[in-house]
Amino acid sequence: MEITMKKVMRLVSVQLWAVMGDMLSIGNNRKKKPKMLYAGVLFFTLLMSGVSFFYSLMIGSGLKMYGSLELLPAMIMAVTCMIILMTTIFKVKGTIFGFRDYDMVMSLPVSTGVIAASRLIILYALNFMFVIIVMIPMMIAYGILAKPDILFYIISIVSLFFIPLLPIVIASFLGTLIAYAASKFRHSNIFSILFSLGFLVVIVVSSFFVGDNGKELVDMSKALTRQTNRLYPLARMYTNAVVNYDILEFLKFLGVSFVAFLLYTILVKRVFKKMNTLMMTGSYHVNYQLGQLKTSSPFKALYFKELKRYFSSTLYVINTGFGILMLTIGSFAIIFVDLDKIFGSTQATDALVKGIPMYLSFCIIMTCSTMASISLEGKNIWIIKSMPVTPKTVYLSKIAVNLTIISPAVIDTIIIGVVLKLDFWKTIILLLLTITCAFFISFYGLLMNLLLPNLKWTSEVVVIKQSAASMITIFSAIGYIGIQFIFNILIPSAVLATLGYVLLTVVIDIILYVILMNYGSKRYYAL
Amino acid sequence: MLKITNFSKSYKSDKKAVDQLNLEVNSGDIFGFIGHNGAGKTTTIRSVAGVLDFEEGDIMIDGISIKKDAVACKQKMAYIPDNPDLYEHLTGIAYLNFIGDIFQINKMDRETLIKKYADEFELTQNLGDTISSYSHGMKQKLAIISALIHRPKLLILDEPFVGLDPKAAHTLKTIMAGLCKEGSAIFFSTHVLEVAEKICNKIAIIKGGKLVSCGTTEEVRGNSSLEDVFMELIEE
Repeated sequence: MEITMKKVMRLVSVQLWAVMGDMLSIGNNRKKKPKMLYAGVLFFTLLMSGVSFFYSLMIGSGLKMYGSLELLPAMIMAVTCMIILMTTIFKVKGTIFGFRDYDMVMSLPVSTGVIAASRLIILYALNFMFVIIVMIPMMIAYGILAKPDILFYIISIVSLFFIPLLPIVIASFLGTLIAYAASKFRHSNIFSILFSLGFLVVIVVSSFFVGDNGKELVDMSKALTRQTNRLYPLARMYTNAVVNYDILEFLKFLGVSFVAFLLYTILVKRVFKKMNTLMMTGSYHVNYQLGQLKTSSPFKALYFKELKRYFSSTLYVINTGFGILMLTIGSFAIIFVDLDKIFGSTQATDALVKGIPMYLSFCIIMTCSTMASISLEGKNIWIIKSMPVTPKTVYLSKIAVNLTIISPAVIDTIIIGVVLKLDFWKTIILLLLTITCAFFISFYGLLMNLLLPNLKWTSEVVVIKQSAASMITIFSAIGYIGIQFIFNILIPSAVLATLGYVLLTVVIDIILYVILMNYGSKRYYAL
Repeated sequence: MLKITNFSKSYKSDKKAVDQLNLEVNSGDIFGFIGHNGAGKTTTIRSVAGVLDFEEGDIMIDGISIKKDAVACKQKMAYIPDNPDLYEHLTGIAYLNFIGDIFQINKMDRETLIKKYADEFELTQNLGDTISSYSHGMKQKLAIISALIHRPKLLILDEPFVGLDPKAAHTLKTIMAGLCKEGSAIFFSTHVLEVAEKICNKIAIIKGGKLVSCGTTEEVRGNSSLEDVFMELIEE
């Protein structure tokens, strides 16, 4: 038993370091590992904890004013569980099933059960780290505001270990279903992408409509909590345990989480080898007959290769296409809803119209496939590097794919202009905003990926979601939207503010393009 | 066809992986590049193929410096690495067509040559499958076919026989000989000394990044076997 545990923990430590190394994009230089890894983990932890603390403090202060502070722990816990659920769905493939070093790990003289356990612990460890980063600052914030009994801290700390369990189980079932379907049927990735996007849209849209009858924060929080408790009874148990010190509810919370995870562990152990084999075996079509071949230019060939790569990964589509999907849903939704009725007054609609440029740029900037497109070449990088094409052609093909993904935004913008009855020039300015932001994020993401490439990844999830290039691109791009916010504050005219922001983005686009084509070309040869 | 002059390459440490390498491969040559693991073969080959950047020396392909015009050089050559990592999400035929587009091979030549080489390597019936379903040997065959369909003047291969079944290895050797008869040049690394001895007209042996022997196969091996010469040189 002791030897088995040692083996499990040894496997976990090796694989966890590899995952975290990939996350911080030090895959190309393993010698930098300890210092950069520690510094990176510390920085990320502090940043996220700080954000969580201030959010908790702000929301908690608001709730306290209305005498509803007891809602805070459940709210933060529910949000944490939701994030775990959404992120773990796409971690299942690559962590438990279909991970790249599967062959190597399975050939080690350890049992399948040990390997399956090590993979589950990795999944748990990654989510547990997230729980600590979010929940401990919440506990401190709640402690400051509510000055609770010592029992609150004891129950909360014990609960930390159990919070990620059920979301992992639910996400794993959904994730396995998606990954299995994608591996089993030809072109089934489309099904997988649609299913995943549909799931995310349902979550986001339902969260918009959950606060049915109130504008006040407390009413909304109460409605949200009611809804959460109905959908996720563990949130109710958790609240009763940490706020009301209900030991029975606390034990129920621990018991349900633990039993669900235990059953899941037994199931994974049983199907681990079978599922991995199924997912790694492609479908065969014997007796292929050569037919006529279509020819195209090198640029077109690279473009379609890149587009196929994009749609071959559900994770890639979900993480980079969600912004444009929300924009499209939003723009079509306003055709069918009466904005004055929803927002109560014409002033509210006006405020919405003023917020439209920021919503547009936010959704577009969240749509960035280029931030991972170099890293995703991975071990295949030799193919493009040995081809008779310039770095410029390669870069333009990657940029063109991102622009293609964003392209529905042009129609969305026109719809917004028509539905909100904007005049011709305002619609043109919005279109210019859409186009300049699309170029900005495509150029910027590519440049970040060239500066922080990771070609030695073992699971594409770390490149797409957790790599330094992806994180820095998204966070700094959100910061760039902050500039738009400042423009809106400083310039009273919304039209002039947007125009000013468009002009600034044009200048930045030109600078980024020049950097990409000069410095970027040199980086290409150094990859 | 290939001229390497004073080529050196060092990685981040001070030690040079390749040190002042000079060699020349002419049209019609099958040039074997031999050395033990870590001797600098792959570094040299990757630099010749334009995959690896280098600072010292120069590499000329058909009279053009790869430093000055990499695209023109790459248009004339084909490279197959020691591990054929290909685009797993593409089917075999989609990958070959992609290479055809990149090298701008006309439709008729493309269809004819894909058929010819896919039949010779017995891969035609699998071309409709995604590469992710291929075995190592099948991927190696596909990489070889993709290198041959654009009729390269210079073929650069890193351990091309690893993973190939005996029949495919024989097919490759025949194709290599045929290409050289047509005026192309082949520069390849191998650990299989018997193969090198049998098919190469020129051989170079590299040790610790430095060339220790270079010439025609007869000159290099003298009266001994290539294996004896190799063992003697690397143990010195």
